[in-house]
Amino acid sequence: MEKKFEEQLNDLEKIVEELENGEVSLDDAIKKYSEAMKIAKKCSDKLKKAEEQISKIVKEDGTLEDFKIEE
Amino acid sequence: MDNKKYLTVSSLNKYIKYKIDNDDHLQEVYLKGEISNFKAHSSGHFYFSLKDEKSRIKAIMFRNSANNIKFRPEDGMSVLVKGKVSVYEANGDYQIYVNEMTEDGVGDLYIAFEQMKEKLAEEGLFDPKYKKEIPTYPTRIGVITASTGAAIRDIISTIKRRYPIAEVLLFPALVQGDGAKDTIVKQIITAQDYKLDVLIVGRGGGSIEDMWPFNEEVVARAIFDSEVPIISAVGHEVDFTIADFVADLRAPTPTGAGEMAVPDYVDVINYINQMEQRMFENLKNKIVNYKNILAKIKESYVLKNPLNVYGIKAQKLDNLVDILNRNLKERIKNNKLILDKLISKSEILNPMSALKRGYGIVKKDDKAISSIKYLKEKDKIKIEITDGIISSEILKVEER
Repeated sequence: MEKKFEEQLNDLEKIVEELENGEVSLDDAIKKYSEAMKIAKKCSDKLKKAEEQISKIVKEDGTLEDFKIEE
Repeated sequence: MDNKKYLTVSSLNKYIKYKIDNDDHLQEVYLKGEISNFKAHSSGHFYFSLKDEKSRIKAIMFRNSANNIKFRPEDGMSVLVKGKVSVYEANGDYQIYVNEMTEDGVGDLYIAFEQMKEKLAEEGLFDPKYKKEIPTYPTRIGVITASTGAAIRDIISTIKRRYPIAEVLLFPALVQGDGAKDTIVKQIITAQDYKLDVLIVGRGGGSIEDMWPFNEEVVARAIFDSEVPIISAVGHEVDFTIADFVADLRAPTPTGAGEMAVPDYVDVINYINQMEQRMFENLKNKIVNYKNILAKIKESYVLKNPLNVYGIKAQKLDNLVDILNRNLKERIKNNKLILDKLISKSEILNPMSALKRGYGIVKKDDKAISSIKYLKEKDKIKIEITDGIISSEILKVEER
């Protein structure tokens, strides 16, 4: 299963911190940079292409049904 | 008749007023009744009557007292008043001069509310140490409220507008009247099994009686026991319920709850851009540093004048030095090529320069700051913008 958005963002924050604070070698820094850029793109894409989630209502028997607000 | 002594109307009224004003029982009267014929005069005084099933009395409330009451009096309202009885001589009216007035009935609920609040506070249910953190980027949000009405509409539309990738699950509940407290409690328990990141519990505005389920002890305890962090959202900004005190976070309104439950996706995209920019700058600096070191080595005496160092012109050594020299120069050249490539590659990867667009990086103790929770007044901070660094001191930290 794909990681949750929050976890991906946390990963990204961790790498930025490592690069800024840690004694990372150039090779590692480059690896981490490209890895981080991939995560950043995934996160941004998820937000920009956001397919709106449909709200659900939880019925008495515990099943889910699409929920539309009555105007 | 002629022998009788006749009084004037004025002196009779004066006498009656004198009698009444000197009766201790009438100087401080507590009275309950229903308002009728209410008139708020432009002078600021209130004129009305108080009545019960059998009888009525005229009442007046002067501006200074009238300004202090906390509700809008209306005909038909049951009230409790304090005042004194006196006579308006000009009309021969006796009336009650009211200086304090409260709504009857509300008093009992108010006392019940205060007692419950005190009891649960003593037990520690409101203690900040039990407050759970509300996740910043929730995936799934539960809402316990009525399935119709403004509250659910406001919550869903606010969440969809700010952060459409979050999923909203509605756990429908009665939010007023008999049975409301039980469905709210039942749904809080049900909601625990749906892998929620946060749960909003609330309803729109209404009378104190309407909102009463959110003051019930069973509801307070269900909120306290919830594993999922709860945002309460009951009524309007001015309405406080027990649920608000025990919840992990209180929202002023249902719309406010939507705003507190999710970030605005535009802010999140900006934040990601900012991180990309920081990483890029960091990597670029690293590469430039290495480049400088290499340049220095290249300029060093050994490499420029290898023969002088050794002095001996032995053929063998000459050759060795030549080889060494060639190898080193080759390696430097290669490394320089690699570095140049990396720089241009990272420049291609560079996201739109956030700094050039006016964003800045706030740093404290050389660490980038992503939240006000790391900052307090008087902290020294540095702000990096595109062409320099601003050193500054914090005047005020305010939550958005």
